[in-house]
Amino acid sequence: MPLAVEVRGVTKAFGPIVALDEVSFALRSGEIHALVGHNGAGKSTLVKVLAGVVSPDRGEVMVGGKPMVLRSPRQAQAAGIAVVEQELSLVPSLTVLDNILLGRVDAGAHSRGAFLDRIRGLLSQLGLSNVRLGTVVEDLSMAERQLVEIARALSRDARILILDEPTATLGEREIERVFAGVRKLVAEGRSVIFVSHRLGEVLALCSQVTVLRDGRMIASRPAAELSRDSIVKLMLGEVSEKSDVRVRDGGVREGLVVIDGLSVPGQVEDFALRANGGEIVAIAGQVGSGASEVLRALGGLIPDARGRVTIAGRPMRLGAPQRSIRGGAVFASNDRKGEGLFLHQSVARNLLATRLKAVSRGGFVSRREFTALAQRLAGLIGFDRKRLGAAAETLSGGNQQKVFLGRCIEQQAAVLLLFDEPTRGVDVGGRADIHNLVRHAASTGACIIFVSSELDEILDLADTVVTMFSGRITRIGRRREMTAAGILAEITSGTATATVA
Amino acid sequence: MTDINTITGNAASPSPARRGALQNPATVAMYAFMAVVAVLVLVGAFTTQGFLTTGNFRSILTATAFVGIMAVGSTVIMLGGSLFSVSLGMTTAVTSILFMYTLRFGLVPAVVVTLLAGTLIFTIQGAVIGSIGANPIIVTIGAGAIQEGIIGWLSPGDIVPPAGANIDFLAQPILGLPPSVYVFLAVAIVADLCMRHTRSGLEIYMLGENQPAARAAGLPVAKLTTAAFAVAGLCVAIAGILIAGFARNVNLQVQGTYTFDVIAAILVGGTAVTGGRGSVGRTVIGALIIATITDMLLLQGASTGMQILVKGLIVIVVVVLLHLARHEGRMS
Amino acid sequence: MSVHEASAAKRRTPVSRRVQMVMPSVLLAAMLVTFLVLPQFSNREPSIFNVYNAFQLWAAYGLVALGVGLTMIAREFDFGVLGVFAFCPMIAVKLGEYDTLLGFVVAIAVAAAVGFLQGFLVARLRLHSMPVTLGFYIALLGATITISNSQSVSFSNLDLGFALDADMFEILSWRSIIAIAVFALVFLVMRYTPLGRDIRAIGGDRRASRMVGVEVDRVLIIVFMTSAVCSALGGVLLAYSFATALSDPGLTPLKFAVTAAILGGVSLVGGIGSVVGIAIGALTLSLLQELFSILAAPTYVSSLVTGALLVLATIVAAPGLAARYKSFRSPRAGSTGAVAAPSRRLPDTSQ
Repeated sequence: MPLAVEVRGVTKAFGPIVALDEVSFALRSGEIHALVGHNGAGKSTLVKVLAGVVSPDRGEVMVGGKPMVLRSPRQAQAAGIAVVEQELSLVPSLTVLDNILLGRVDAGAHSRGAFLDRIRGLLSQLGLSNVRLGTVVEDLSMAERQLVEIARALSRDARILILDEPTATLGEREIERVFAGVRKLVAEGRSVIFVSHRLGEVLALCSQVTVLRDGRMIASRPAAELSRDSIVKLMLGEVSEKSDVRVRDGGVREGLVVIDGLSVPGQVEDFALRANGGEIVAIAGQVGSGASEVLRALGGLIPDARGRVTIAGRPMRLGAPQRSIRGGAVFASNDRKGEGLFLHQSVARNLLATRLKAVSRGGFVSRREFTALAQRLAGLIGFDRKRLGAAAETLSGGNQQKVFLGRCIEQQAAVLLLFDEPTRGVDVGGRADIHNLVRHAASTGACIIFVSSELDEILDLADTVVTMFSGRITRIGRRREMTAAGILAEITSGTATATVA
Repeated sequence: MTDINTITGNAASPSPARRGALQNPATVAMYAFMAVVAVLVLVGAFTTQGFLTTGNFRSILTATAFVGIMAVGSTVIMLGGSLFSVSLGMTTAVTSILFMYTLRFGLVPAVVVTLLAGTLIFTIQGAVIGSIGANPIIVTIGAGAIQEGIIGWLSPGDIVPPAGANIDFLAQPILGLPPSVYVFLAVAIVADLCMRHTRSGLEIYMLGENQPAARAAGLPVAKLTTAAFAVAGLCVAIAGILIAGFARNVNLQVQGTYTFDVIAAILVGGTAVTGGRGSVGRTVIGALIIATITDMLLLQGASTGMQILVKGLIVIVVVVLLHLARHEGRMS
Repeated sequence: MSVHEASAAKRRTPVSRRVQMVMPSVLLAAMLVTFLVLPQFSNREPSIFNVYNAFQLWAAYGLVALGVGLTMIAREFDFGVLGVFAFCPMIAVKLGEYDTLLGFVVAIAVAAAVGFLQGFLVARLRLHSMPVTLGFYIALLGATITISNSQSVSFSNLDLGFALDADMFEILSWRSIIAIAVFALVFLVMRYTPLGRDIRAIGGDRRASRMVGVEVDRVLIIVFMTSAVCSALGGVLLAYSFATALSDPGLTPLKFAVTAAILGGVSLVGGIGSVVGIAIGALTLSLLQELFSILAAPTYVSSLVTGALLVLATIVAAPGLAARYKSFRSPRAGSTGAVAAPSRRLPDTSQ
């Protein structure tokens, strides 16, 4: 069979970090080829190379047997490659047809009738025959939006389609619709690269599986020769399961935090957890698992979240951040720039953003107490005290994150700390500091719930691990009962084991 | 091979390099602009008959006072990320009319009622904007129309001070300067201290800089926005009283061009329209710059239109240059 | 069935948007009924001439509303319309004393240039549109007052005004027909061309639009140019009609325009609104003004009513309203059943 795309010895480094190291990859025409790998394995960089977003330092890309240099998304499109990103690029307020036509240079050139027929054909081919072209995208389900996005790519004559986590936010039946659509495409001779964390889906849909790890191509085999376990093994490599498990059983306060029946429409169903003071709980889950939404709901950021939460015996009402804070829960978003720091304000002000009351007398901030508290917090998070006056935007990512999380600790009233991806975009050194920070907070008697997509981090920090898949808890266990492979299997379990509880 | 050539034909994307190069021009342009303004003012100062006189400085300060007092208050709104009030001038007129009218009940009641009314008018708008995220421009336009309607309904004509009321002191110079200048100074100092040293002041800065972050951190977004508008309303009411004392005969026309003069002073001072960056002090400087240049144009015999034209041009140039300087500064 | 499907199952247009879509027409219908019925009670009869008058007002301010509405759909805001509404008529009248056509052409060209400059600054430098356009407004107002010497300037070509205002089909005039034509043109562009789609797209989601290859900068510049030209046209035609250009038309055109756009269903959130909606909103407001003049109501009534309408419409459309409501409905902890009775599935980790 001819090769649709071939990547040979591609290397790409971002500063000191080698994202892709001599990676080779071959996509045959008419195949669905899975690209799997854990976080930081290099999947997204490889996708970006093919999409023309990132130019490789070395190596070559061949499309249809010809070497190509893809320097812009437009060039990739011209070569017949289309990427459907995880983050959809549909404009919600426009209709389906408008979205499909948006950005087309030749939109006016077609004879309208024939063109519309073709689009309708594409939609019904993808199982969207019940979607009218005039429907506003906002009114579509997530699966339908995903399919419209695919239809848009196809309407531009894409021969090679890259689907980046297309099922992350979808339900089972919706996933089936997307799969059915994808299979039809392949039957027509197009090729699909399927990037996914969900191994069950990978095995159900794909004919070939390529595994990346730490920027290297580890294996590329027919799916028939692989099982979920063998893929997990390839993804993790030969890691010795850590035996120096630090378990701090019996936290300070029993049942400090009790969550029951926590639901977020369309994202989380019936989340329940009981945790003690001093306990560190990790929620493991991929994008779309609902893990992040659990934290956001507890932080009061989801207005229509429902559920019963008690902290230290007092019921806490959901739906507004101030209620959560009054109840004793503090949330730190995974988006420190958009939803965390005040970048043009000083580090000290950022550290004390939520506790100015503690250093104020009659509404006026006491300079002395402000500085004293800022310095103490700087000491706790390992931040240079001399730089407390610097604007937060001048700090490195790691320091920014420390300052952001430092804001949450050492507050007497705050007994439940919610950290969403506490070390996102932080280098190794900063990561250790942040882990110490989290442990310190737990040692003061607070309960910590964090979400992470990094298995190492979960295994390093957590006393208790909760795994989530598709909006539901699949397992809750003590750290010592958990292995990296076990967690990975739970959170990537796909349709077959979704009901395990 | 042709494929490669056609595809790489115009693949130049040296954006990082361009940023580095641009950073200097923008900052340089900013300084150049400030230098040009300074030189113009200096040259103007020595060539304009009557500019370098104490009398003229007095008149600059006097001219700054009304706009300055209101601009200081409105700076708090802009720092808090709620843009500005498009009906500020209307409230100025409303408060001065109210003051003049209530004077018949005595000076103290009149002052109290006017300050409360001005604060309340703005507070209501702030509450609507802060609690449900309604657009400040539209809400304040609407509120302006309502105020206009109420005034039109209640008072068909000019209002003059009631017999026996003595409000001359409001315009009586003290040490050569009218009271409004001292009030301006006092309001500016108090507001500046509050914005830098009170909890709410710091929180308003944070809210203006990053509203989602302020929300996530549990800051009282609605209360802070309401408070910012309350401060601005209070300042407008103070100015309204002083303007009434100055004009002696008030109607809706006293609003003049205050709305846009106030916004211009804040923008020329360099407070970011999106909030979070800037200060009360900057606004004071902005108001003084505009007043100085206007004064010079006046002495040079320029028409009112020319003064307004120059004001608009200064706003455009400062907004563009400050944006460039900030933007490039962040890029590096 | 999975969690996600529960929310995916519904496929109808949500009620809120359907309300939003029909709201302008409902308002217009209500306005028409009031217009016809209310005067009866005060023994006044609305005549066909009143409808003509409403369209005359619509022709002037409706065009400003069209300009401002377009920028709002693209998620920008244009104070500059006020500037061109003052400046361009002044040019048209001043130059028109030598040659009417020359005056007209130069006035429109100036508007286009102002729009281009504003759009360029907003698009290329990624400036916030409010301060920039505000600066342009102030500068243009100053320029108008300067060249007019703070006086209204009368136009000696009275015939042009008469011709433009001569009634056609009883309720229209050349002036309102020109305005209708402009509305129709912009409607066709917005509805049937890639440009219209791009304008709605950059208002709805600028990031996504850029990602799929919309030339955002070019579109923004076109939007600001259209806005300025429409507004200038409204002003120039009005000046011809009155045979006078004002040295300061005040804020009324902007207030009218924004109110009309909001009543017509344009949202400041961006991407939402239509040309027909703006036309309907402007017509509703014009009829309202005319109704007040039939009733000989004092001007304050009109201020009160439009102000209240604007505030109401803004509150209803405010983005935070739904979230407030949902979070308000969030059950008080403890009010629904036992607090924290752990569910069956809850593994007790403390043992």
